[in-house]
Amino acid sequence: MRWLRVGALLVVFGLLIAAAGWMRPYGEPVRTDMDAYFLERTPEEVVVTNVVTAVVFDYRGFDTLGEATVLFTAVMAVALILRRWRR
Amino acid sequence: MSVVVRTVTRLLVPLALIFGAYVIMHGHLTPGGGFQGGAVLASVVALLIVAFGAERLRRRQTSLTSVEDLGALMFVVLAFVGIGSTFFYNALAGARGLFGGTEAGSLWAGGTVPLMNWAVGLKVMAGLGSIVLLMALFGGDDDR
Amino acid sequence: MTALTVLQVANLVLIVAGAVLTVWLRDLLASVVALAAMSLLLALQFYLLQAPDVAIAEAGIGAALTTAIFVLALRKTRRKEEEE
Repeated sequence: MRWLRVGALLVVFGLLIAAAGWMRPYGEPVRTDMDAYFLERTPEEVVVTNVVTAVVFDYRGFDTLGEATVLFTAVMAVALILRRWRR
Repeated sequence: MSVVVRTVTRLLVPLALIFGAYVIMHGHLTPGGGFQGGAVLASVVALLIVAFGAERLRRRQTSLTSVEDLGALMFVVLAFVGIGSTFFYNALAGARGLFGGTEAGSLWAGGTVPLMNWAVGLKVMAGLGSIVLLMALFGGDDDR
Repeated sequence: MTALTVLQVANLVLIVAGAVLTVWLRDLLASVVALAAMSLLLALQFYLLQAPDVAIAEAGIGAALTTAIFVLALRKTRRKEEEE
């Protein structure tokens, strides 16, 4: 049973290494339409040099709102469970 | 914790605070942003709790969660600034008003983006900090 | 093979070594420190792959906050891992 586990682990490891070799070369995406759009428009529309921040807080603000909600819910749950409430 | 940890913490805390504030403040110009800077500031809170014990910060629980709520509220209010066009529309960018510089790369440009950076930074700092604080206070603070 | 590739591969080997060390060590405090070192090396890897945003987040959350939470949890429990 132990050797079966080691063998399975080795097979998965080999598959991952093979997949790394089969990967697309770094820095050459298949589609560049959206990248070019954001890179061209961000300095004019948002007047910001950090394109990632422009995407996170302007173009895809809803995603950030969801992320903020996740953090808010986590803090609320931790406070509800772990805090010592006065009776 | 030991004297070594406390001394290193005293040395490190101002530097980390400055770095976190810098990452938030320049979030729209250089790599980083509200979340990353807030995580750095929260790690300062965690360092203080590990080094000096959580008992000193017991009274600060409410203020930390309040700052978190304030950040979340500020974020949503800033999202409503551009409600004339759409939710999350950046109405302040390039408008020559508050943060309305017209030159990309200026600290005073970007409209709601720098303000949202500060909102999210405060929110993440207070949120993660209060999670660590609540976990440290749970079951009594046994600082050894 | 450029120098950057060599650096990346060496860094990846170190990351795997850190992960193995994290699981292998019996002293849980040392294990947590190994996890923090792995996180820091992962942040360096993100930086080498030209994602500085992710690198800062990983360094802040993975290396600092997670370590603090684990150290606090260890303080409230036992430091040594028990034999099965």
